[in-house]
Amino acid sequence: MAKWGMVIDLDKCTGCQACTTACAMENNTLPGESWQDVLFYHQGKYPSAQMKWLPRPCMQCENPSCVHVCPTRATYKDMDAGGIVFVDWNKCIGCKYCMIACPYGVRFYADEKPLLEPDLRDIFPGSNGQLWSPPYQNPEQDWKRGIGIQPAGVVSKCTFCYHKVSKAPAGTPDLDEAIPELKEYVPACVRTCAPKARFFGDLDNPESQVNRLIGDKHGVRLKDHTGNKPQVYYLGAGAGVPAFEPKPRS
Amino acid sequence: MNQENIMKGPAGIGLLAISAIVLLASFGYAIASLMSQGHAAFNATSTVPWGQPIATYLYFALASSGLGLIASLPLVFGFRKFYPVVKRCIFLAFAILISGMAVLALELGNVFRMLWVIPLNLQIQSAMFWMGVFYLVDLLFLLWKFQKLDAGEWDSKTSKQVGIGSFLAVLLASGNLALIFGMMSMRPFWLDGLLPIYFYLTAVASGLAALVFFTYLAHGFSRDNMSAPLRNLLEGALPKFFGAVLGGTLLFIAVRAITGMYSNNPEIHLVWSEYLFASPVYQASLWLGIVLPFVLMLTGSMRNQAGTQILVAVLVFGGLFAERFFFVVGGQVIPLFKGTWEWDILSYTPSATEWSLTIMGSALLFTLWVLGERLLNLSAMPPSAVMQEGPAAEAAAHA
Amino acid sequence: MKILQTLMTRRRFLKGSAAAGATGAAAGGLGELTGLAPVSEAQAQSPRGETTITKNICAQCPARCGIDVYTTNGRVHAIYGDTGNPIANGKLCPKGHLGTYFLYDPDRFKGPMKRTNPRKGRNEDPGFVPISWDEALDTIAGRLNRLREAGESHRFALFYGRGWGASDAGLQGDFGKLYGSPNVAIGHASMCAEGSKRAKQATDGNNSYNAYDYRNVNYILNFGASFLEAFRPYNYLMQMWGHMRSKSPQTRITTVDVRMNPTMAASDRALYIKPATDGAMALAIAHVILTEGLWEREFVGDFVDPEMRFRTGQTIPAGSFAEKWVHGLTEWWNEELKDRTPEWAESLTSISARDIVKTAREFGTTRPAIAIMERGPTAHTNGTYAGMAIHALNALVGSLWAEGGMFYQMGPSYGGLPVNAADYMDDWAKSGAWKSQPRIDKAGTAEWPMSGTMMQEAGPNHLKGDPYKMDTAMFFYTNPIWSAPNPQVWEEALKDVFVIDTSPFPGETAMYADIVVPDHTYLERLQDSPTYPFEGWPMAALRVPAVAPLYDTKSYGDTLIEIGKRINGPMGEYYKALDNVENVLRHRAKGFEADPGDNGVNSFESWKEKGVWYKKRYLWQQRRGEFYEWDGRGYNVRMSPDEVKAKLIKTPTGKFEFKSGFLEKHADYIERTLGVPAARAGLVQWVEARHTGQGDLYFVSPKTPLHAEGRGGNIPHAIANQQPIVGGRKTVYLEIHPDTARARGIRNGDKVRIKSNLGSIEAYCRYMPAHRPDTLVLPMEHGHWAQGRWAKGRLPGHSGDITENVSDPISGLACYYTGKVTVERA
Repeated sequence: MAKWGMVIDLDKCTGCQACTTACAMENNTLPGESWQDVLFYHQGKYPSAQMKWLPRPCMQCENPSCVHVCPTRATYKDMDAGGIVFVDWNKCIGCKYCMIACPYGVRFYADEKPLLEPDLRDIFPGSNGQLWSPPYQNPEQDWKRGIGIQPAGVVSKCTFCYHKVSKAPAGTPDLDEAIPELKEYVPACVRTCAPKARFFGDLDNPESQVNRLIGDKHGVRLKDHTGNKPQVYYLGAGAGVPAFEPKPRS
Repeated sequence: MNQENIMKGPAGIGLLAISAIVLLASFGYAIASLMSQGHAAFNATSTVPWGQPIATYLYFALASSGLGLIASLPLVFGFRKFYPVVKRCIFLAFAILISGMAVLALELGNVFRMLWVIPLNLQIQSAMFWMGVFYLVDLLFLLWKFQKLDAGEWDSKTSKQVGIGSFLAVLLASGNLALIFGMMSMRPFWLDGLLPIYFYLTAVASGLAALVFFTYLAHGFSRDNMSAPLRNLLEGALPKFFGAVLGGTLLFIAVRAITGMYSNNPEIHLVWSEYLFASPVYQASLWLGIVLPFVLMLTGSMRNQAGTQILVAVLVFGGLFAERFFFVVGGQVIPLFKGTWEWDILSYTPSATEWSLTIMGSALLFTLWVLGERLLNLSAMPPSAVMQEGPAAEAAAHA
Repeated sequence: MKILQTLMTRRRFLKGSAAAGATGAAAGGLGELTGLAPVSEAQAQSPRGETTITKNICAQCPARCGIDVYTTNGRVHAIYGDTGNPIANGKLCPKGHLGTYFLYDPDRFKGPMKRTNPRKGRNEDPGFVPISWDEALDTIAGRLNRLREAGESHRFALFYGRGWGASDAGLQGDFGKLYGSPNVAIGHASMCAEGSKRAKQATDGNNSYNAYDYRNVNYILNFGASFLEAFRPYNYLMQMWGHMRSKSPQTRITTVDVRMNPTMAASDRALYIKPATDGAMALAIAHVILTEGLWEREFVGDFVDPEMRFRTGQTIPAGSFAEKWVHGLTEWWNEELKDRTPEWAESLTSISARDIVKTAREFGTTRPAIAIMERGPTAHTNGTYAGMAIHALNALVGSLWAEGGMFYQMGPSYGGLPVNAADYMDDWAKSGAWKSQPRIDKAGTAEWPMSGTMMQEAGPNHLKGDPYKMDTAMFFYTNPIWSAPNPQVWEEALKDVFVIDTSPFPGETAMYADIVVPDHTYLERLQDSPTYPFEGWPMAALRVPAVAPLYDTKSYGDTLIEIGKRINGPMGEYYKALDNVENVLRHRAKGFEADPGDNGVNSFESWKEKGVWYKKRYLWQQRRGEFYEWDGRGYNVRMSPDEVKAKLIKTPTGKFEFKSGFLEKHADYIERTLGVPAARAGLVQWVEARHTGQGDLYFVSPKTPLHAEGRGGNIPHAIANQQPIVGGRKTVYLEIHPDTARARGIRNGDKVRIKSNLGSIEAYCRYMPAHRPDTLVLPMEHGHWAQGRWAKGRLPGHSGDITENVSDPISGLACYYTGKVTVERA
């Protein structure tokens, strides 16, 4: 089995957020429930300020702290699915401990106050036990892996678009959207990335392009000190996330 | 005994009625808003997932553990002066734990699912799993222990074994509860291997506050209605113990605050400087809810007065509730990986529904307690032989 | 309390189950209480209908990215870039994916409607009632017939914004000719980016945006073109960004802008310029290029005496410089450029002379290099001159028509229409009194002699009755009651006009409509779209309906044809012969039979299947100062100066003009409106802008990547990701430098009032120390009062409300970014 990994080249990323919206529409997440998000930071002052950004999917950690804390094994790392961390919506009791334990803030409890009013959940009310049912819902659904639209009271997260990835021919080293036969198997955020800042492939295969990029361009993992060992690597300048600073109030 | 428990009279019926009405109203409100809005009725969000209901549960669970620990003073360690409160202690521990669990049940996304997914999946890596196990064991031991005492078995071998078992269960339950927070390295404000000690101390402090308050309430806030041994306890060992525990609590808060403020790590020191100390509510609860009670308990003359004790109990209720709230929320207010999407330190204020859960838990506690006072004899004490058989006498007997 | 929720959900579900079943929602878990029993089996299986992919083009900006629309069980559920489309290449920008919202927008108009409340205004409910298409079309046609019979056909105006191609806006010209109105149709270019077109017309004779060869460029000097936010085609620009930033050698990029933005942040050098001074910066760079001898001699020419130099402050003798493909360099140097030093520019632009020199040296020594711009530098009263100064740099380094340079777009090989409008003109159409009427916007009159269109003037002119009052106004893909500068005037003006709106969505102009004839949304349309200026070679994409129209709507082209059929006389016959949009497109596609596309498209059917026809062959190239034409195998046929003039550099001299013949023709007008002495009017030169608004701070309202044209304010996911720079998630914040805020007692997060001489709007502010302290930034999106449920009541107010209707006299481009405002705590 492959070990799926993602590589994000920050020297090419333009911060456009197409990854965010592609993910939102592919996975039918609510506004604010950004399984994939782009984080912006700025430091310094005119005329020498810097601004940078960091696209942030779930890191699908090798050693996922969210999995350790889950009292029901609802969140689990599936080694038979390339090491993707899933939430089984049939098992999740909604204790949110995994959200506390995730160092990367990539888990969501959509059963919360809506980011935007009017609430989409009122406009497209849920059927089949779903939190909401938009007319444009993706027909793919697998609650055991947190794919589809979640019921109330469970945690949701990025699945590396497993409903796509899982259909790729076995042994493919890289799911590269530039290869027409593979494009339907590529995670939405990778597939749409216009500057081609994202790459998706098998970290266990030394021949894969993702491993070559990590090697050539000195890939780093975010917050490596947590020991979570993400399966997402970043290349280029800008992976240094500034420490949190409170904003000046006046 | 000249004891007079006003809860057995009309006052009890009145309080029971009020508690039951508040219970039903708050429960009704909570259920109605949960049914219509789901957990959108909470102000807890994906960025601050644990809000006041979790803090309330924590407060209740630890108060229960504190009461359990107090009960083991006579039952395990032979501090016989505490016998007059031991049954009330155990019953309160039980009632508070049930109330806390009720609040937690309404906080969870899928509470009934726990019944099968936890036993079927046995995730022993998770502290949350052990929390379930230990608090269940704790609850069972509390019931068993209470049943033993209610049956008059104050000093039997089984009773002692149950007492020891219960003591261990309490230690494990509350210690493990501390580790749910203390083991989270990605939340540095909580990360602390000694957090269980802090939890034990504050648990006993809140347990003592509950014990003092309910004991006085049961007796119409008048020592004249109390039995002599109970009066002796309230004028002697208990307030001293209460004062000492408050001192320990204060020490722990101070040590955590100093460490936190000293640390360069913004995820710790900003919580102290920009969230806790910046909050008038936190300041008020710290100074009025913990420092002031400690000061009041320092001098013997003040400490032994009924009025002081009741005031201190009430202040400590508030102080420690706020302590729990700010502890739970404080671990989450520094946004994790949100960039400009979270512009500043996160803010969280409980919603009406979340308050209704806190009120519901409190009302359930009052309801259960009044029922307990009315239906059970919570002031029961062991036969005088056992009462008077102090440690010295015991030692002599063995010699 | 999962169980209670489940019960609730189930009850709701059972109630709505008929509807859900009809719409083919996934079944499963029907009678089960998810809170009580595992539902994995049920939820794991979902009936999976056949998924079809149809070709379309995104409609959220002008870029025209080809999209694959995924439809299963009659529901569109995904949109991805079309791999076979040369703009999209399988990719999309953040807007593209949100296209399904357009289709399923709960606020859509569901069919034709008429107004029942005669009063019009912001707070008037139009009282729309549904009517039949026949009633709607008969009403409109009846009105137009009466107007025509009364000899007042010029009082019908048709305004359009985003025209796509032959099947919509392409039909309008003939409609105007046959019906007889100079106001059919009035485009929105003067409220868009007309400035850069006019700058190019004035210098190289092409009234057009450029096509660019980003794949081969090695240096970009970017003046206020929001390359990584809104410059078109945004999606393709990002693809090229990824290429340019990883190719060998890496393309270096210097960005000059008035605010911090993603393009500035990602560039190698970010230079903050004082608004409206880009022209000075460009002139100083030209000065350095000339004084340091960095110009491209093979394109520009050289001194006759190789020992001669351009020296600051010193003129050169006439005739000493032998110009090759440029005209007027000597006069330009002597009368303007010799004193435009970096130090002089520093005093105007606030960019240090050191940075200007560095930039000029890089730009002048890296080939190929291009200087690009868009409405940032040109949306000021000096916009055309600024644009000319920037474009002049491209001539100096020889990047026009060069590999890695810039050129102009070719059109597609369309077939002719089945009928010729000229054959259906009656006397009124041919020579009616309407022919002597000016346009309502006065474009092309003495008032705006150099502008092709002045839509922003139409409302105010109508209000004044000068040159006359409109009777009926129809709107296609434009919403001037909101988007015009100072739209309050339009709100007043359109009260006594019979308004026809064709938008599928509610909007401010639609709220003034007397009749609404809603278009399909783009996923339901059959519509063609030749490319905007892109890479030069011809391309035409096609929208193919992914699903049958959800509601009783009609494509705009068909609406226009149906109205035409109902006009009395030969005009009606013409439209009966034209029949419908599909017929038009079938005839257009006939052109592909003789000229099949690179992807094999040679018919209407194959066009529908592939979604795009293109021929990746641009016909001309400039190489080492010579122009060549493609001969089928290579750029081998050397072009004569006359051929170059006819096909490429279409100026009076056939050269790139530093002294513009186009401007000299209007020298008196320019002297009158801009104060430039008539004798100097042709020179590329520095002209001070006239700022409006009477405030002390510059105010810019940029377009963010999530701004979907006309709809972004009502798309939940767009709103939620709108302004990542300062976390604008539910609102759009005013970005303000902390020093500027503190000086006015404004705290981070305060509600503020932004005031100009026209009035004020409110917004919440956030500190942004990366901006210029003299410039406020408020992304343009919100402040709608009739766009839909999410847009409504969402702060901030609309920037247009405090933007004076002032335009560059040359291009006619509305000066959206030239207003100065004050700001205070609200």
